[in-house]
Amino acid sequence: MQKARHLGLATLATAAMAASSLVPALAADSYTIGISNTVQGNGWREEMICAMKAQALASGNVESLNIAHRNTDAAGQLEDIRNLIAAGVDAIVVNPANPEGINPAIKEATDAGIVVVAVDQAVTEPSAYVISNNQEQYAYLGAKWLFEQVGGEGDIIYMRGAAGASADTDRDTGFKKALAEYPDINIAQEVFTGWQQDQGKQQILDFIASGIPFDGIWTSGIDNVIVDALVESEVDLVPVVGADNAGFVGQLNDVEGLVGAAVTNPGSIGGAGVTLALRILGGETPSEQTVLVDPELWENATDAGKAQLAAAADPSLDPEWPVSISIPDWTTYTKEQIIACDGPGE
Amino acid sequence: MSRFIRRNGWVFGLFVLFGLLLVFTRAIQPDYGSAAFISLTLAVLPFAFAAAAQTPVVIAGGIDLSIASMMALTSVTAATLMDGASEEFAILVVPMVLLLGVLLGAINGALIVITRVPDIVVTLAMLFVWEGAALLVLNAPGGGAADWLKALLVGTFAVPGVPTAITDWIPTALVLLVVCLAVVWIPVVRSRLGLSIYAIGSDSLAAFRSGVSVSRTRIAAYALGGLFAAMGGLVLTMSTGIGAPIPGPYLLASVAAVVLGGVTLGGGQGGLVGPIVAVFILRLVRSDLTFLSVDPNAATIVEGTIMVIVVMLGALVALRSRST
Repeated sequence: MQKARHLGLATLATAAMAASSLVPALAADSYTIGISNTVQGNGWREEMICAMKAQALASGNVESLNIAHRNTDAAGQLEDIRNLIAAGVDAIVVNPANPEGINPAIKEATDAGIVVVAVDQAVTEPSAYVISNNQEQYAYLGAKWLFEQVGGEGDIIYMRGAAGASADTDRDTGFKKALAEYPDINIAQEVFTGWQQDQGKQQILDFIASGIPFDGIWTSGIDNVIVDALVESEVDLVPVVGADNAGFVGQLNDVEGLVGAAVTNPGSIGGAGVTLALRILGGETPSEQTVLVDPELWENATDAGKAQLAAAADPSLDPEWPVSISIPDWTTYTKEQIIACDGPGE
Repeated sequence: MSRFIRRNGWVFGLFVLFGLLLVFTRAIQPDYGSAAFISLTLAVLPFAFAAAAQTPVVIAGGIDLSIASMMALTSVTAATLMDGASEEFAILVVPMVLLLGVLLGAINGALIVITRVPDIVVTLAMLFVWEGAALLVLNAPGGGAADWLKALLVGTFAVPGVPTAITDWIPTALVLLVVCLAVVWIPVVRSRLGLSIYAIGSDSLAAFRSGVSVSRTRIAAYALGGLFAAMGGLVLTMSTGIGAPIPGPYLLASVAAVVLGGVTLGGGQGGLVGPIVAVFILRLVRSDLTFLSVDPNAATIVEGTIMVIVVMLGALVALRSRST
């Protein structure tokens, strides 16, 4: 699947890296890469991990992966990163639980000459590189489209992610930015789904049962179960905004009378993180410390949008997986490789 | 000496297990050294305080499911108070947060005593109450921590006259842990209160008839748990430099450490050293799983299985020694 993607580039820090930590291991191009992730059992994160494994395998430069992938908090991620340092990895690709909370361990890693790349969300530690989806823009695009779609006025259900997660906070900033532009939009209900499918479905069923009217639903990626709930309750379908998860994209194509939009949030950013780490290990240092991948919006209200959605749909993927399984210039694996989800040596 | 070992057999066994595990770790990761041991101690800290918080409550015959939420609430309170404040102000923040912990624990205990609703129900409800309160204090991770507090966890503890080869293996974090626990626990255990906590845990009716105030002791046990939970919350803020309102995985870990540490879930038996060593073992198992690159989805199964086997083996040994 090839689609144009604008790479918004931003320079965060110009702090010169200590030259020693950038000298590549010239003799060997078989690296060990450590991975740290703190949400397990979520479709998006599983795709991210599979993209990391597939990219490590496809690159041919990775001897083995050392994956710390579990449900934990920032303190637990400090522990995982320090374990990876002790395990002697060459680079660490991390999806940070918090932008500041894991800085001490990142600093220890870069001081030890380990390349650290944060994916999906940013960290404030200047010695780390960041390649991330632009979360603020993600929420702004979808919310603006939704408010426009309901005619600039009405009651919106605002279904957020996990309270306290930094991606959720960034998305809230984007959502509020759009909200400020449409003063006649009213938030009928604001809930945290915790990015859990079952919880989100229960919340929308409870709200439908309350009988309070609503004109549109914005979700932070817990989307296909919301459409399921609307269909099962036999209420009038309202515009729904979600992410580019395979299940939701399929619904936008197939569900009669459903108007909605999917905002891209590729889990394949994990593969891009591995590529960035390998480039740095190979001596190819990027000029910017932070690379932001901007989202796109695919809607089914116009013919052009419908064509985009039809092209993106991929029923062969798990319904919770984002359909954007690759990022041009950053990932080289095949679709079969990411679905197989095998890393080097597996 | 043999009597001491027999009486503390379980804890002694845990130390041996930890030693064997260190040897094993060294075998699979030859570079494993003092730097990695410092990392281990840092990882142990919040779990150790969570286990310490659970210990007096379980010994008193109860259980506190709100420990992780109390840690989150005290952590965000500390991080909010210290955000942008002077370094000196943090000296005031520490006792305030510890007092808050005592208060939270006392509220848990008082509710159980007054309402007569089972511990597990009350503290389950309070898990949500304290988590909600933490989100009210800080709705997203943030805040700050004083530099001198963060520095308390860094590096090794230099003892004049002792060669660095030895002090390299004494992380400051370990000294902090031992001092904090000892300052609170030793006076309690040696006092009437400590005896009362064990008494109501083994048989509350007998304790009552012996003149122990069961209600007051129960509240005190929960308050003591709250104090340790507040220390855990402070340690979270000190290690991450922020406060996070979503509770971490400390509740189940605290119960696991208490059980593995030889504290009977029914109450009345066990001590504080066992659960702390158990935390070291559980964290080192986690490190080993990372070193071995065990499939992360299988890692949690391995952790759980190891725990069940150890507890079962321990029960078997205890049974055999009783029958002979």
